[in-house]
Formats: sequence, C-alpha cells, structure tokens
Amino acid sequence: MRHIAAVFGLVVFALFIAPFPSARTGQAIAAADAEKIVDCEIDKGPCSKVIGTMEVILDINPKPVKAMKELSFTVKLIGEGKVISGTRVITLDLAMPGMYMGKNAVMLGRNGPSTFSGKGVIPKCPSGRRLWQATVEIREMGNVSFLFNVAY
Amino acid sequence: MCGPVVAIYSLRVERKSYAPHLLYNLGRVTTYSLLGGMTGLTGSFVGSVKLFERFQYLALGTLGIVMALVGLASAGWLTFLRPGGQENKEKKVKAPGLSFTLFLNRIVTFIAGARTVGAYFPMGLVFGFIPCGLLYTALIAAAGAGVEAGSRARGFLRGMLLLFLFGLGTSPALFLIGKVVSIKGEWLRKRLSRASALVMVVVGIVFIYRAFRS
Repeated sequence: MRHIAAVFGLVVFALFIAPFPSARTGQAIAAADAEKIVDCEIDKGPCSKVIGTMEVILDINPKPVKAMKELSFTVKLIGEGKVISGTRVITLDLAMPGMYMGKNAVMLGRNGPSTFSGKGVIPKCPSGRRLWQATVEIREMGNVSFLFNVAY
Repeated sequence: MCGPVVAIYSLRVERKSYAPHLLYNLGRVTTYSLLGGMTGLTGSFVGSVKLFERFQYLALGTLGIVMALVGLASAGWLTFLRPGGQENKEKKVKAPGLSFTLFLNRIVTFIAGARTVGAYFPMGLVFGFIPCGLLYTALIAAAGAGVEAGSRARGFLRGMLLLFLFGLGTSPALFLIGKVVSIKGEWLRKRLSRASALVMVVVGIVFIYRAFRS
C-alpha cells in the first residue's frame, strides 16, 4: 500500500512539475507544429471554409489579432438561404488546442442578411503558446474550425 | 502554474496536517473572488486586467526567484543558504554581504522551512495572483456577468461569486496535490533530493523567464 501511494505521489509530482522544465523545448515544438496545422492567416484577411453546401467566412479585427484585447468577430455565411435566414445566433467557441483554458464562447448576433458579429477576448496563455482555434457552431449545419496564431 | 507552488510548500508540511492546505486555498480563493468582483464591477476584462497584470507577473517572477533559491539551497549548492538556517543567525562574524545572505536565508526559510500555520493564508493571497489562462477565461465570464447585471453593485457581486465558485472548483485538485506531496515529502526528500532540487531550479528559471518576457 505504501509503495502504491509512493508511486502515485511520484506520478502526481511528475505530471505537474516535470513538464515545466521542457517549456522552452515545448514552445519550439509547438511553434513547429503550428506551422504545419495553422490553416488560417487571420492577420492577412478573412478565412474561409466549407461545411456541407455552405461557405463560412471568419474575420477578426483589429489586426494584427492580439490576445488580451477586445476583438470584433465576424462570420459570414454564403450558401443555403433557408439555413441562413433561419439562424439568429451563432456561437464562436475559442479554445487553445492541447490546453484547456475554460469555456470561452462569443455569441454572434445577426448583423445583416448573412453576417453575424460579436465582441470577445482571446486570453493570453502564460506558457507563450499562440495557437488558437475558433469553432463556428451553427446549430442547423454543424461546426467548422479555424486554426490561427495570435500576437501577444 | 498552481501545482509547483503547492508542491513546494507541501514538502515541509506535516503529513497529518490539513490546515496549511485549507488556508492556502482559502487565500487563493479570496484573491480570485476579489479579482472577479473587480472585473464584474467594471464589466470589462481588458480594463481590469490592465490594473493587476503587472502585479501578476511580479508575483510570477518572485515565485520563480524563490523556487530557484529554494532548489539551490535544498541541494546544498548554495552553502550560505540553508532552509531554516538558524546557524547563520548566530554568526557574529561581520562579512561583506552577510546581511544580504541573511535576508535571502529568511526568504528561503519562510518558503521552505517550518512556519506557523497562519503564514499559509497570505501565501495563498499572494500566489493567487499568478497569471493563468484558466483564470483569465473565468474573468472574461465575470466581465460578461457584470455587463448583464444591470448595476455596478450587482456586477461586483456576480463577478465575485463566479470567481469564488471557480476557485472552489479548483481547490480539490490542489488540495490533493498538497496532501500527496506532504505525505510523501520526507520520502521524496531522501530519495529525490538532488533531482527534485534541480527540477525546482529549472522551473524557477522558467517562471522568471516568463515573467520578464511578459
């Protein structure tokens, strides 16, 4: 029993303290991975993806997109008229891949025939990681995600 | 971020003692509640973070320095620093820099040496300011609650309640870490003293780097 408790304690110690010394290496790896999986150069302009028969265009302003600043999120839907006209609110979920930072959802209200907008904040992660994922959640159609880097 | 702080102070806590862990978490939850109240009052996450962000990174940098010192002292790599270094207080020899080493000794002793139970509450208050992405997200929610509250007073109370509940929710995990480390503290110190000291020094350096980078 004592040995099991000792092993458990060591595992807890290792899980919560040991990863930190590799922070810089982890950042280098994260940066390298981000180059491969970033699919939205949000600082250069809106990003577009297709879900079903609908095109979803995401834009964030002001640019460059910075953490800890109030940002304006805009989603434009191009496609099926019935779905677009029937949708009143879209949810934009902001998350950091690989690190749980709590539920951060921005509600986008209708701001035109096919445009939805709202304001929110992308928090800063003390680890230095900059890769964020914005998931547009449309109840009638499903979800589509955009991966981009933010500036600190 | 909170785990290393809890692990450090827990190494010297008696295995059967619950009060230090409870008081540390009470201090931390108190800080979170105040930050939540401030954010709910203003209704602005960005605005309120500007007020205390510098202090957050100061707390992080301080923690990093202390961790590095404690690690170096615990491993015996700084001969003039000893956690609980009573012998230095008795030295009558006046040497250049002795007052500074005595000051460092007091800091190291405070963190890593035996202390009264009452010290854990202020420790939790201070280290509750350490920057944390999860905390920021909770504060964003507090700002939203403040905006929807309709009045500043209600915004303050809602923000405070939100962060109080957030702190309460994170307490069991940290309490468990602290308890496990304090139970196994002596075992860990005997068998992993050099390794854990090295980890502590490296983590301290990482924290210092993050504090100054920000």
